[in-house]
Amino acid sequence: MTTLIQVRNLSKRYRIGQGSRSLRAVLAAKARSKNGRAVGEEHHWAIQDVSFELEPGQALAIIGPNGAGKTTILKLLSRVTKPTSGELHVNGRLSALIELGAGFHPDLSGRDNIFLNGTILGMSRAEIKARFDEIVEFAGIGAFLDTPVKHYSSGMYARLGFAIAAHVDPQILLVDEVLAVGDYAFQMKCYAHMDKLRTRGTSLIFVSHNLEAVRQVCNRGLVLYRGRAIFQGSAAEAVVAYSDALRQAARELPVVVPTEDGLAQRVMTFDAEVEQVSICDADMRPATVLESGASATVVIKVRFNKAVSRPLFAFTIRTLDGQLIYNITTRWMGITTPDFDAGEHCRVEFAIKLALLEGTYELGVDIASSDLTHFFDRLERALAFSVIGSNGAKGVAALGAQVSLHRIPNGRVPTATFEPIV
Amino acid sequence: MITGKLPTRTKTQTHFFEFLVVWTARIVRARYQQSALGILWALIQPSATAIIFSVVFTFFVDVNTGDVPYILFSYVALVPWTLFSNGLTDMVNSIVENMNLVTKIYFPREIIPLAALLARVLDFGIALALFVPMVLYFQRPLLSPALIVLPLILLIQLALVAGLGLAGAAMNVFFRDIKYLLVLGLQILLYASPIIYPVSSVPEKLMPYYFLNPMAGIVESYRAVLLYGTFPGPALGLSAFLSFCALAIGYWFFKRVEFQFADLI
Repeated sequence: MTTLIQVRNLSKRYRIGQGSRSLRAVLAAKARSKNGRAVGEEHHWAIQDVSFELEPGQALAIIGPNGAGKTTILKLLSRVTKPTSGELHVNGRLSALIELGAGFHPDLSGRDNIFLNGTILGMSRAEIKARFDEIVEFAGIGAFLDTPVKHYSSGMYARLGFAIAAHVDPQILLVDEVLAVGDYAFQMKCYAHMDKLRTRGTSLIFVSHNLEAVRQVCNRGLVLYRGRAIFQGSAAEAVVAYSDALRQAARELPVVVPTEDGLAQRVMTFDAEVEQVSICDADMRPATVLESGASATVVIKVRFNKAVSRPLFAFTIRTLDGQLIYNITTRWMGITTPDFDAGEHCRVEFAIKLALLEGTYELGVDIASSDLTHFFDRLERALAFSVIGSNGAKGVAALGAQVSLHRIPNGRVPTATFEPIV
Repeated sequence: MITGKLPTRTKTQTHFFEFLVVWTARIVRARYQQSALGILWALIQPSATAIIFSVVFTFFVDVNTGDVPYILFSYVALVPWTLFSNGLTDMVNSIVENMNLVTKIYFPREIIPLAALLARVLDFGIALALFVPMVLYFQRPLLSPALIVLPLILLIQLALVAGLGLAGAAMNVFFRDIKYLLVLGLQILLYASPIIYPVSSVPEKLMPYYFLNPMAGIVESYRAVLLYGTFPGPALGLSAFLSFCALAIGYWFFKRVEFQFADLI
């Protein structure tokens, strides 16, 4: 079998501010320019000198912070744009799952849109017909097949979009950050399907912020940082390299964080630094999979680089699509922390009850100064963990509903209490 | 350097054709599902214009159209004009309207503007069908041997619109002024083509240049074939030459710049 994708020293440059302009602006720029080149034209290298290969059956994760060039690589691979320099060889049918339901027309029915979207993704009419039932089944939209898709819920819309793209039966499947839209069950179904495709020999390129999914789906990882490939290796190592890159980024840039009151700009100082973050189960063993409703502990190890007075510790739990689930600081808990000297270490433990339903969540931690003027350190996505074992309830909060059912004799409101029948 | 194993040629062509059909159907269905009068709009636009022109150029200003009623005279020209004007406008806007697709998924980009034009050909067919009862009402001859050239005239016109439309659609991505330019250009061409007046009223001095506007020869040919039952004059030859030049240049330009579409954010 031959290498499916070969990328060598690939670079892509964009002109800053490139976009549609009025003729007048272009003519004016030309008039001002010398030897035909517009004055003040700036360029930005979206990716620079990136090389990698994809072998049959491999699943490669491309991870990196926003603006690292992930989307540019996908665009280059799917031939939407041309590289500025470098080589790109694609040997095999490639399907890009970049936007779910690309080209869907809201007024057309699910049936029409399957043909429309399937055609856009490169399937012939005969191929779509042959896979039609499978697509409908996977999307679970059977009853709504002839309803205009504008009446679909966002979940149904996403499921249909994924179902079509996943049935293109490509040799190479590009998957962008598109699965974040669906619910947990849908995401699991998608990952399972991607696994199935892989066992059938489809290779995968997966772009995601969801590090848990990366570890689950991929066997190789490529970390992009500011347009350059800074790490290539196993998916698990890549996830670690990505976390390091994020912290490196925070260190280099004076990260501007919006405040709660929106007045001041806060800058990270690293007077105190997060050394390690973990979430532990009831037996205080670090875990990534935890039981719904169980006790857990968020553990943060901190090193103080300078003397710090009464720092604030905080942690945040979010869903993968960024929905805030829980955020608490030591101040809100009414705790005044002591002063720390330079060189000191400390360990902060937040005991919590994991009243969360099945799903994957992200844990973030912050250390801030007592007057809240600046952060010492902040990790928005310190780690991801999964919660399992809830009873099938949907949503995020495990509210622990109990049910009791009372039969009412003769339709009258009972005056006495009856024994519950369930 | 980019290489890729492409599907066999015939497969690519079949897919191109299927894509074109599906996308055309999308435009047509969406257009007529959204409006209350639906497909009737294809008739209303040229009819209403023909009625307005008939009132103005029969009662206000007298335009001599011989023994042909003015409304027939203008309608037979307004139907192809509507195809030209709407087809070109839709094509020019088509890529910009579908940027969200163009920046994310690769497919032959010319499908989008070509489908926009094809969707208007359907309108053209419907509007042309209304011409039949109009001719019968005014008791004019309907069938003539000249009708066999009708598809050729349509083909020449489609080549012209496609060429201009492809170039316009590509330019509109880079310069949004194109749509204002288009409105102006269409206004000028409407008066530079024999739509509201017969070619016989064109001043002698301008006659040598008149048919450099390919739409002049095309409109005149439709009128000859549909209204007078005569074969088109030599002007159609010049129109055909100019139209196919426009198509070649428009297509070449479009293919040359299509890879830059996705780079404009």
